[in-house]
Amino acid sequence: MPIPVEALLKKKEHFERGPHDRRSEDFHHELFELEEQGEWIVQRAPEPIVPVNTKFGNVKKVPKAHLWHHKSCGQCGHIPGYSTSIFWVMRKLGYDYTDPRDQTSCTAWNYYASATSNAAAQAAVAIRNFATAYESGFFPLIHCGTSYGHYKEVREELLKHPELRAQVREIMGKLNKPMVMPEEIVHYSEWFYALKDEIAAKQVRDFSGIAATVHPACHYYKLVEGDAIYDADVYGGQRTAIVTGVAEALGAEVRNYSTWFDCCGFGFRHILVQRDFTRSFATLRKIERMKEEADPDVVLTHDTGCVTTLDKSQFAAMAHGRNVGVPVMSEAQFAALAMGAHPYKVCQLHWHSADYRPLLEKMGIDWEAAWAEFQQDLKRLEAGEKQYLTWDDVG
Amino acid sequence: MSETIAVIGGGPAGLEAARGLAELGGSVVLIEKENFLGGTPIRENYAALTPHLESAEVAMGRMIDAVREQPGVEVLLEHTVTACAGDAPEFRLTVSGPGGEREIECGGIIVATGFEHFDPGRETQMYGYYEHPDVLALQDLEAMLKEHNVVRPSTGLPPERICFVQCVGSRDRQIGNEYCSKVCCGVASKEAIEVRQQLPDCKVFIFYIDMRMYGYWENQIYWPAQEEYHVQYVKGIITEVLKKGDKLLVRGEDTTMGRPMEVPMDMVILSVGMEPSAGTRSMSRILGIEPNKYGFIEVLNPPLDTVSTSRRGIWACGASLGPADLEDCASSGAAAAMKALAFVRRKTVAVG
Repeated sequence: MPIPVEALLKKKEHFERGPHDRRSEDFHHELFELEEQGEWIVQRAPEPIVPVNTKFGNVKKVPKAHLWHHKSCGQCGHIPGYSTSIFWVMRKLGYDYTDPRDQTSCTAWNYYASATSNAAAQAAVAIRNFATAYESGFFPLIHCGTSYGHYKEVREELLKHPELRAQVREIMGKLNKPMVMPEEIVHYSEWFYALKDEIAAKQVRDFSGIAATVHPACHYYKLVEGDAIYDADVYGGQRTAIVTGVAEALGAEVRNYSTWFDCCGFGFRHILVQRDFTRSFATLRKIERMKEEADPDVVLTHDTGCVTTLDKSQFAAMAHGRNVGVPVMSEAQFAALAMGAHPYKVCQLHWHSADYRPLLEKMGIDWEAAWAEFQQDLKRLEAGEKQYLTWDDVG
Repeated sequence: MSETIAVIGGGPAGLEAARGLAELGGSVVLIEKENFLGGTPIRENYAALTPHLESAEVAMGRMIDAVREQPGVEVLLEHTVTACAGDAPEFRLTVSGPGGEREIECGGIIVATGFEHFDPGRETQMYGYYEHPDVLALQDLEAMLKEHNVVRPSTGLPPERICFVQCVGSRDRQIGNEYCSKVCCGVASKEAIEVRQQLPDCKVFIFYIDMRMYGYWENQIYWPAQEEYHVQYVKGIITEVLKKGDKLLVRGEDTTMGRPMEVPMDMVILSVGMEPSAGTRSMSRILGIEPNKYGFIEVLNPPLDTVSTSRRGIWACGASLGPADLEDCASSGAAAAMKALAFVRRKTVAVG
């Protein structure tokens, strides 16, 4: 029975994970069991929900509204347009949220820079934030990929170690906060993925001429790998679907490159103490390969550290005459631009290092006029009319 | 009570068991789910058998003819076992086939339902089997070798550089397949030799963790592959296969050099391991015999009793027990036949 090449190709068209794949265990069973035993409160994801598929076939619930924005220190500090875009898009789609003033850093920066304290302290910080969200009645939405990956690991540790739960319970007791674990730990890029069709429905700028490369964050899909979105319609379900799903929904052309799975090189510890390593990695292994093989108009990613390093490492390589020079932004900023957001007031691209102006021109945005508008607003602030711009100023 | 022995599965082990039983004057019903005998070597179009490179079809053909020639063997093609009632030595098997359902009374049962090739989509490493047309598995290459038509599926042209990646789905604690699948090093090396024979200008590489070709395979395959056919063995784990231009970029760690490596290839062949087949899993459920933690049939008293299952009157052989080569299949098939026949005859004598 000879097998032609077509038969082999047909056989490989579709992958379906079988029932006996041992890694399909759903952590929710243990989560709810511990609630029944009185170990903690599981904060339920509020309706309306969008169900999405994860790597091993379990369904994840992504709530559309009533979200508690767990912000990113690196975004608020260095890429403020990233956070603003997330809020702006959520407002445009009409979903309610709260922007808490009493959130703490997840402290995962600490952890990844090898300067961390101990497992109980790390876990207590997480539970404290979750408890604060629970008390507010809103459900946590995590802005940073590193916070998200770290919180997933903390969840694993707490599910498996009763002695750790006991230590954290004692700390929560001192803080007078309940032990709370949300039903799902949801990253903002999962919210964008779940709502990509609603976002595309509000698109006003044409992205059909825009080519993008996607960099998926290690901390999103390599930590607790089962809990990450995979979609049979995106990369045939073989690679994580976030960011790419959104870019494609907006009509952009997503191009491939041979270092897709590589880390951006941010590194936490070595961006502090061995920054040439970070810059070499980001530019030689990621940006140069993207430029050589895909020649994109923009690089899209979904984590604070990734945007930071891919964008801000390029100037150093440029000084050495390397083949760099492509704008980098989050898919949140990209989606916001698609929906008509102001490139400076909302997306705050003036904080970015690699030149984004050719991209804006390709999107049909008159950045000079936009900059002039922004300058006008700054003059109003200088004149003392108000302390800072608010949502009323951005439209 | 019946002295008939039911053999479930008509692959190498089942055929050996059935023939052996019949030659000893036993009465056999051979139940096979496909519409042909020969098992995986025939279903997956194996080209040549390791290590002597005899055609799989010819070798299996001999086994099949030997069974067909025996008057004591009733062959039921396109049949599956759907239920089992009773206890040894009075089992009542329900089989389902094109003609409908039927009950078979038998004194003993031999499970020979074999294995399935590991599906590379399950793997944690990023090999892109379902993304890149030029990434194939061992059995895919067997089919091409049998046809003497080894080409890149993406272009239809012969490859200039082809590599094998060992231990895909085996020796992997992450996915739970902690065992070595035994034959893949030998089979990959054999296929490498065949590729070099069919495409003398093609460079062939094998990326391995350890090369496991025990016994006589050392000199039958391992050395000829290198000395005669110039297959290049590189020690190192491959982690990703991506597309770069019109080639595949194979990335991993070169253990000997102690550094990462990236090598362009035209085709990548994943040496996929063995997992219990759906038939093995369902037989263990239906017949009530204990599986081991990997889903293969558990043997009661290893290593000297290789075929007795947790249930009296039921034996297992071949790859239903775990990764097996053809010698294992022939040997365990014969061992199961011997024990099953001795069992039913003792029972008959005792009753008489």
